[in-house]
Amino acid sequence: MNGFSPSTHLLLTIAAPLVGAVVAWVLGSRGTSAVRQSAAVTSCVTLALAGWLIVRFLAEPATASGLPFALVELPWLTEGIFDVRFSLGLDGLSLWMFGLAALLSLTAVLVSWDAITDRPVGFYVLLLVLEAAMLGVFAARDVVLFYVFFEFTLVPLFFLIGIWGHDERRRAAVKFFIYTLAGSVFTFLGLLAIVLWHTAHTNTVTFDIEALTDGMKVHPLPMTAAGGWLQMIVFLALLAGFAVKVPIVPFHTWLPLAHVEAPTGGSVDLAGVLLKLGIYGFLRFSMPMLPEATALAAPWLFGLGVAGIIYGGLVALVQTDLKRLIAYSSVSHMGYIVMGLFALTPVATEGATLQLVNHGLSSAGLFALVGMIYERFHTRNIASLGGIASKAPWLAAFFMLFTFSSIGLPGLNGFVGEFMILAGSFQRAWSGVAANWQSAYLAMALLAVGGVVLGAWYMLWAVERVFFGGSREPPRSHGHDSSAAHGGHSQGHGGHGGHGGHGGHGPADHAAHDRCDLRWHELAAVLPLAVFCLWIGLAPATFLAPAAASVRKATAASSAAFAARMHTTEPAATVAQAQMP
Amino acid sequence: MNATSLDTFALLAPEIVLVLAALVAYLGGAFVGLRFGWLVAAAGIATAMIVTRGQSPNPTFSAGVTIDAFSMFVRWTVLSLGLLLCFVQAGDLFVSAVSRGPGLHRGSTCEEAGTFLLLLTGLSLVGVAGDLVLLFAGLELVSIPTYILLALKRTDARGQEASLKYFFLSLVASAVFLYALVCLYGMGGSTDLQAIAARIRSEATSRTVQTLLPLAAGLAIVGAAFRLAAVPMHFYAPDVYEGTSPGNAALLSTLPKLAGIVILARLVALLSPAASPDLLWRIMVMLAAVTMTVGNVMALGQRNLRRLLACSSIAHAGYLLVGVAAAASGSETATVAGGFSATLFYLATYAVATIGLFGGIAYLGHRWPEWTSGGGPRPPREEITTVEDLDGLSATNPVAAFAIAVFLLSLAGIPPLPGFWGKLSLAFAALGVDWSAAITADSRRAWFVGLAVVLVLNAAIASAYYLRVIAAMYFKSTKRGVQADGGLAAGIAMLACLVVVGAVSIQPRGLFVAASRAGDSLVPAAAPAAGISSTPSDSLVSQGP
Repeated sequence: MNGFSPSTHLLLTIAAPLVGAVVAWVLGSRGTSAVRQSAAVTSCVTLALAGWLIVRFLAEPATASGLPFALVELPWLTEGIFDVRFSLGLDGLSLWMFGLAALLSLTAVLVSWDAITDRPVGFYVLLLVLEAAMLGVFAARDVVLFYVFFEFTLVPLFFLIGIWGHDERRRAAVKFFIYTLAGSVFTFLGLLAIVLWHTAHTNTVTFDIEALTDGMKVHPLPMTAAGGWLQMIVFLALLAGFAVKVPIVPFHTWLPLAHVEAPTGGSVDLAGVLLKLGIYGFLRFSMPMLPEATALAAPWLFGLGVAGIIYGGLVALVQTDLKRLIAYSSVSHMGYIVMGLFALTPVATEGATLQLVNHGLSSAGLFALVGMIYERFHTRNIASLGGIASKAPWLAAFFMLFTFSSIGLPGLNGFVGEFMILAGSFQRAWSGVAANWQSAYLAMALLAVGGVVLGAWYMLWAVERVFFGGSREPPRSHGHDSSAAHGGHSQGHGGHGGHGGHGGHGPADHAAHDRCDLRWHELAAVLPLAVFCLWIGLAPATFLAPAAASVRKATAASSAAFAARMHTTEPAATVAQAQMP
Repeated sequence: MNATSLDTFALLAPEIVLVLAALVAYLGGAFVGLRFGWLVAAAGIATAMIVTRGQSPNPTFSAGVTIDAFSMFVRWTVLSLGLLLCFVQAGDLFVSAVSRGPGLHRGSTCEEAGTFLLLLTGLSLVGVAGDLVLLFAGLELVSIPTYILLALKRTDARGQEASLKYFFLSLVASAVFLYALVCLYGMGGSTDLQAIAARIRSEATSRTVQTLLPLAAGLAIVGAAFRLAAVPMHFYAPDVYEGTSPGNAALLSTLPKLAGIVILARLVALLSPAASPDLLWRIMVMLAAVTMTVGNVMALGQRNLRRLLACSSIAHAGYLLVGVAAAASGSETATVAGGFSATLFYLATYAVATIGLFGGIAYLGHRWPEWTSGGGPRPPREEITTVEDLDGLSATNPVAAFAIAVFLLSLAGIPPLPGFWGKLSLAFAALGVDWSAAITADSRRAWFVGLAVVLVLNAAIASAYYLRVIAAMYFKSTKRGVQADGGLAAGIAMLACLVVVGAVSIQPRGLFVAASRAGDSLVPAAAPAAGISSTPSDSLVSQGP
């Protein structure tokens, strides 16, 4: 284990995808299979490195108290009023997201195995570059370095959506890029403002996130009219970027388009990792650095989270496109996380942090499986699909597992996260807010519980229509409209009767059709996600404990400020450390 | 300190080398039948670089020329950009000159190259000028060769329109700027910049200064705005860029901007500690905000590639003004110096990306028209003019597409490309003005925070049209391949710019340090040598009237 220091280990983990990208590019002339194999090997190696790093993290006792691990620090732009460093490290906040990014990158490579035939070199190179950026953003300990990775993730995804996406890919790519950029430029200004404030009040120039957090405790940004409400202004600036990234309703309009048009690999990374960046930003910057502003905004963001749950759920209910349905379910589930985060009780915030991982696993799995369905039947229209369970039982089984995880079935990971979020929110509503807020908080928490039912409704209804019921034969064409029209027409076809009546189906098609269950690479893509869904569901403490100290450290100041605002005592930290079912 | 004329010659050695190279090109072309004018130009610039390397900043010397860190930075920028532009301008002429095959416009290459060298000389003189007369002479030595280059490259109606338009407007701008210089002379009683500065400072409350200073500042800003292509003198840019060659557009979008920034920086350094800087920074903030917004909004609707880039160059003039405005704010020394260095750093990153971009367009040259082999004779090839002409470039010429995409993303300010570091330092400079003061309505702080917000909003708007070009290259397909007949030299320029952009992305520190040294040297209090240099200028003042 002492082969190389944790710092080298971390650097290697982030550099591995970049090296792999170069290898894939060099192998480009050898054809698709060489490229995709090298990409798969690279992401396996990266995942192994990341996994081993996590093991080393857990073995290090100091990390349990929230200290960062595997520190890397190289000077970058250190001159005058700039002290930008290439500094990396992991702590409890970033640990699981770092691992998730490595895991989902492998999934993204594997689900693209057969789907990507056009310019595969570019695709896998971009996917690997995206992986490096995703790993980097969670490991960054410097404000500017964080922003560099945060923003750079847009570039590979822009090309992934725009080149390998579906019909409306160009519009989706441009909208995604501009919308996200327009938000995050304000985040950029907010971060610079924090740095400048710190420089002006301590006479030391630093861009180190931890040092800035400590500095903000000593010299907080003013939250008074005399100080120009500076803390609130900076909070709103940060919020602009993070709210778009999450996305918090009403800043979500880029998401369904980007998700639906993205290639499966891109959707997996987008839903699984990139949406989490907004929440991560709240935890890393807004909550510890701007506690009073967070406390002031918390009720409103809590409400927007609930609004997202209900709105996302209702819109998902009426979708006819399976991928769009899952995209809206993401809006709804991110609403839970926002709600949990801004409930500001230890239980809820820890649940929200865990739910980041849970949603990453389940939504990535669902998007991966929808991609597989699309590859087989060339449609995502719910009405044209049906009875897949009889043709592809394993595919159906995995889809149902991720569905159950997503709707929070006890025993699976989603339940733990949702339960903690709701429990924490009720705790907040019951005893943690001023009397005039209480009814509003209770109503919102109850609505969120209603959202759980809503989530079960739209997901299970979609599962029922797609996987069970009469088997339908979707036409083997790429056109959405024709398939939609046809889907309605072939309602009456039962069982395998749907096979007849369509011209142009050779025997090979039938053969492919009969065994359309998961192939080895597809199984390899979703199996690890399913394993983690079960593991987190059965032993949540394993995953909660390493993050707990860091999460509490990040949210303590905001929690205290909120309690002070509401003139109540802080809710007791009755974290269900290992008492989850 | 007494400077002999020999000392002045030694200090101006790089400029003299450039003039000599220009003479070689002119005379060789006229009498010996020299065919490779651009090679002479490149060799001349390289020699000038070697000569510049042997020099060190000497801020104590003041006899018409100022060799401080700032002018050394300007010199290096001029020479490096000049070398890159030389390749872009040369296009295929290196190749055809060496291979002695028939080439287009070959007869005029020596004249073009010589004229181009004179332009660089003038720009370099603007950088070192410590005297109003030399400053103006240098500026004219930039303008006049530009007219000739514009007129030489194109002979069609559009080209004539472009060169005439540029010619007349430039004359007006020069005249306006000359009035500004006259006002400065009227206040200072001397043509020496430091003497003028000292005089203005000592007589800040006098009526002459109170009346003439705002007038001088306003006129100078208008004169500089033309060279920057900033509002209110921005409207010529799209027409002129459209009507000229990509090489000339590259030149126009970088070198005159450098001249404009040098003038503004020198004047702001001169005027800002004086009586009424309030007006100055207010004007600058408004100009910056309006210029970038106007440029970006105009660019959104452009289909013609060169018009689009012209509008983008207007917008970038606005970004450049952000740093100058911060420097003009008269805030703390660090902020002023930071404003100057941010502008210089941004200018360098912008110029490299822009030259690379136009180099790429020059390299691509023409594209095949829509044509099927059965459909009769092949129609004539078409020059690349619109964004649609770049459709599917990633398939037909992946290297050029990649390079152009990188340059566009850098201009858009996407990290970690140089444009991002530039915008980072600009935003930092703007936010840094009066940072510890509270934001109250109409305070200096509020203005600059507003400016920073406008800056980043514009960065987001601008990404829309940069992405449109990238989307055309990568997301569309085409049956019409590009010809890439613009010449190897332009391709080399493009790749050289790509290497520079890559190097600055990974390690921006070197360029940043050079820019901050240059910025520091403009602020009297920050440069320790300034205290010494004020003594001779004081004595000059007393000799003045």
